[in-house]
Formats: sequence, C-alpha cells, structure tokens
Amino acid sequence: MRIKSYAAAGVLVTALGLPFLAQGAPLKVGDRAPEFALPDQNGKVVKLSDFLGKKNVVLAFYVLAFTGG
Amino acid sequence: MKAYQADIAKFEQSNTQVLGISVDSSPANKAFAEQIGVHFPLLSDFQRKVSVEYGILNEQYGFANRTTFVVDKEGIIQHIEKDAAAIDPTGAHAVCSLLEHKKQ
Repeated sequence: MRIKSYAAAGVLVTALGLPFLAQGAPLKVGDRAPEFALPDQNGKVVKLSDFLGKKNVVLAFYVLAFTGG
Repeated sequence: MKAYQADIAKFEQSNTQVLGISVDSSPANKAFAEQIGVHFPLLSDFQRKVSVEYGILNEQYGFANRTTFVVDKEGIIQHIEKDAAAIDPTGAHAVCSLLEHKKQ
C-alpha cells in the first residue's frame, strides 16, 4: 500500500511539474464543454450547468482588455 | 458583443442563452455592458482559468482569443467560431436554430 501511494505521489508530482499554464488540446466539436462558475457584471455567479437540459448556450469569449473599450 | 445584443431576440427564440466571457474584472465588465447597452451576462474570467480550460488563452498577452462556442442542452460543443468570424453572431445563431428544430 505504501509503495502504491508513493507511486501515486510520484505521478502527481510529475503532472504538476509540467508547465503550469500549458493548455490542453483545443476543444473540438463533440467535446463536452468544461463546467465553469464565473461572476457576471453584477457579481452574480453564473454556471454552465445552470442551463444544462434547459437552454443552448453561446459562449462568446471576447477581448476587452487592452482595447481601450 | 453589440452584435450579439442586437440579435438577442433571435437567440431567445432559439431557446439560447448568450454569455460573454473575458478576462476583465466584473466592474470593468459592468462599465462595458453599460457603455454598449448589453443586457446578457458578461462573465469575468479574471484568473484565466476558464480561458485556459477552453484552450483559447493567448499565452503571449494573457487574454482570451476571440472565440465563440455553441453548447447544446446536453453540454456538448456543437460549433466553434474563431477570430473575425466570432464577431458576427450569424453562424452561431444558425446552429442554435438548427439545434432547436432538431429537438422539437
């Protein structure tokens, strides 16, 4: 058991040792959209799962920073 | 974002929620929403976590590349538009409309 947990710890350390901000493979059509919970402009937290089974969701990532707008 | 607001009725007809996401703070998004008259949620990914998970963070500059994802009711990505194409909501709307008709 002890050896197993050391092995698991080793795998974890290796995984964490990879470049930290490296992005995974880009998402493709047919992939599950990763869940998120983020505050809107009024501070209300919106989750992707809020709409599961109810509505389609258009996620529009936009660039506001550094555009002066 | 303005173009999405202009088409919001069409998206609502297709039972679709529009969410804007950027790496700006909520106060900056509030000011932006008021300035351009946007009423749908503008979400703040200040920690860049979601932009990284969606694989669209511009690592050189630290902000999200302009990309639109259409996610169906089951949580599956049905359509992706990048860069200039993502500014025009027409494609995204066409997909939502199709999804809705498929399910009725």
